[in-house]
Amino acid sequence: MTQILADSLIYAAEIGIIAMGVALCFAILRFANFAHVQFAVVGAYLTYSANRFLGLPLVPATLLSAVATGLLAVGIDRAVFARLRRITPEGKMIVSWGVALILRAAIACCFGGASRVFPVEPAALNALGAYFTSQDVAVVAATLAAILALHLLLHRTRAGTALRALASNAELAETRGIPAERMIALMWLISAGFAAIGGTLFALETRLQPNMDLIILLPTFSAVTIGGLDRVFGAAIGALVLSLAQNLLIGVDLGGLLGLGSWSVPTRFRDFIAVGAMVLILLLRRRTPGALAAR
Amino acid sequence: MTDFAIYCVTMIAIWSVLGISLHLQFGLTGLVNFGQVLPFAIGAYGAGFAAVHGAPGWSGWVIGGVMAPLLGLVVILPASRLTQDYWALVTLGAGELFRLAMLNIPGIAGGVEGVSVARINASGTAMLAALALLVATVLFARRIGHSPLGRMLRVLREDEVLAATLGRDPVRFQRVVTAISWAMAGLAGTLYAHVIGYISPSAFTVAETFLIWIAVVLGGPASILGVVLGTTIIQLTALSTRFVAQWSQLPFEFVANLRLGLFGLVLVLVFLLRPEGLVPERRERVDAASR
Repeated sequence: MTQILADSLIYAAEIGIIAMGVALCFAILRFANFAHVQFAVVGAYLTYSANRFLGLPLVPATLLSAVATGLLAVGIDRAVFARLRRITPEGKMIVSWGVALILRAAIACCFGGASRVFPVEPAALNALGAYFTSQDVAVVAATLAAILALHLLLHRTRAGTALRALASNAELAETRGIPAERMIALMWLISAGFAAIGGTLFALETRLQPNMDLIILLPTFSAVTIGGLDRVFGAAIGALVLSLAQNLLIGVDLGGLLGLGSWSVPTRFRDFIAVGAMVLILLLRRRTPGALAAR
Repeated sequence: MTDFAIYCVTMIAIWSVLGISLHLQFGLTGLVNFGQVLPFAIGAYGAGFAAVHGAPGWSGWVIGGVMAPLLGLVVILPASRLTQDYWALVTLGAGELFRLAMLNIPGIAGGVEGVSVARINASGTAMLAALALLVATVLFARRIGHSPLGRMLRVLREDEVLAATLGRDPVRFQRVVTAISWAMAGLAGTLYAHVIGYISPSAFTVAETFLIWIAVVLGGPASILGVVLGTTIIQLTALSTRFVAQWSQLPFEFVANLRLGLFGLVLVLVFLLRPEGLVPERRERVDAASR
């Protein structure tokens, strides 16, 4: 049982930090950014490059990659999204898919389709009956540190207050003199930076390949939806809930509990649970503002 | 060479039907369906299901033509409570749920290995069947577009509340459009299965949905001519990848990735430079008094 909890926490840490970026973007710009998952992949490859070709140790490599990916996102915003602030949220979603395709093609062309592995050899650990590695501890610690840093930024600084003001009422915030475009740039920097860290963590735990975007996409959007789409810390909770649901459904002997003989959900239904949870949550959602009154 | 040309025309016709189905939903009505591959997949798997379970070939068409609109009506249910961007996520999820179910439950139609379907061997016959389906779809979609129903759908697209104040029930119109357009896409899926002769879950991913979206956005979502034009451009680009790779002596995978990036670039550029698409919607003037 503690093993299931430990595994859930590790997976939630990888997905949660990526999901928080999606939620942050949704809170400020009101659209689900499909390109976000590509920021994670780009970030993972940048970390790998900094580590492998510049010879930086992993931690500074990850931080460098986070800053670079953040700047890339700001640049993309200037070139694309800033010109399309006034179109519908659906339109922005479609455009973000176009951006995602460009980023994916760039990564695949530069690095090829073969998978790569970070040259790390973590030590095996054992506590409270659960087995994990020193790397798992680092992954969870990195995400917790990121959550704490974001919390402090949002609630203890002037920039954070400005961001929250933009999220709750953009027009009012702008008339009160908050520099919206500067704050949006800051949002992209944080959001894509988090994605880069999350992508690196994900690649550390599994491996680096251009099509990891499809592996990250569904659980990430599922976690954000469970958390409430514009709730930044809700996304982290959503990742934990999703991860627990997946590991419990797969790891616990459900048939035994119901007295029907040994049976649990097969491992291959992991993605199915993620997407199913997302659709279910959306179906159970109360009316979204602006939607037509139900008759 | 003629065989390849015939194959191209067949594929363009089938994907145009999918595009026109999306044109009715998005271009006319404003429904953002990010699971457009779902009715297509249901149609194809209708044929697959019939093949695996020894049912006669026509039953695949029935499954595709009936199950697709029925499932569409289920998927459209929450649309009245959700704004379009949330509903887009529901449709995206619904499409993936279907694909993952087909992937992981081999009993339905072969699981990950897929299933062989009776193939239309004469390529000319396949092309004529696809063209016939396309012509029927175009005529039907045109008829809808020019009817009072089509005008109401446009009102719905521009302003749902206005449609409601005119005494029309937006939800009912959305249901009608979904049933019609999903039936079209379902039939296209069954035909696709019989043309290719083999289906597997990997042919019905989110990427396929966006292939349809890119074609529709490029050509012009609100114009049938535009949709067919956009589909032709996108499909020819996709189908010619192999030859570009041979000609340029670059690895196939590299060229395929470049093509993917090109599609993304097209999508972004259309939104930035020509949001109404290559063929914009014709403005219709109707003078009620002169009728």
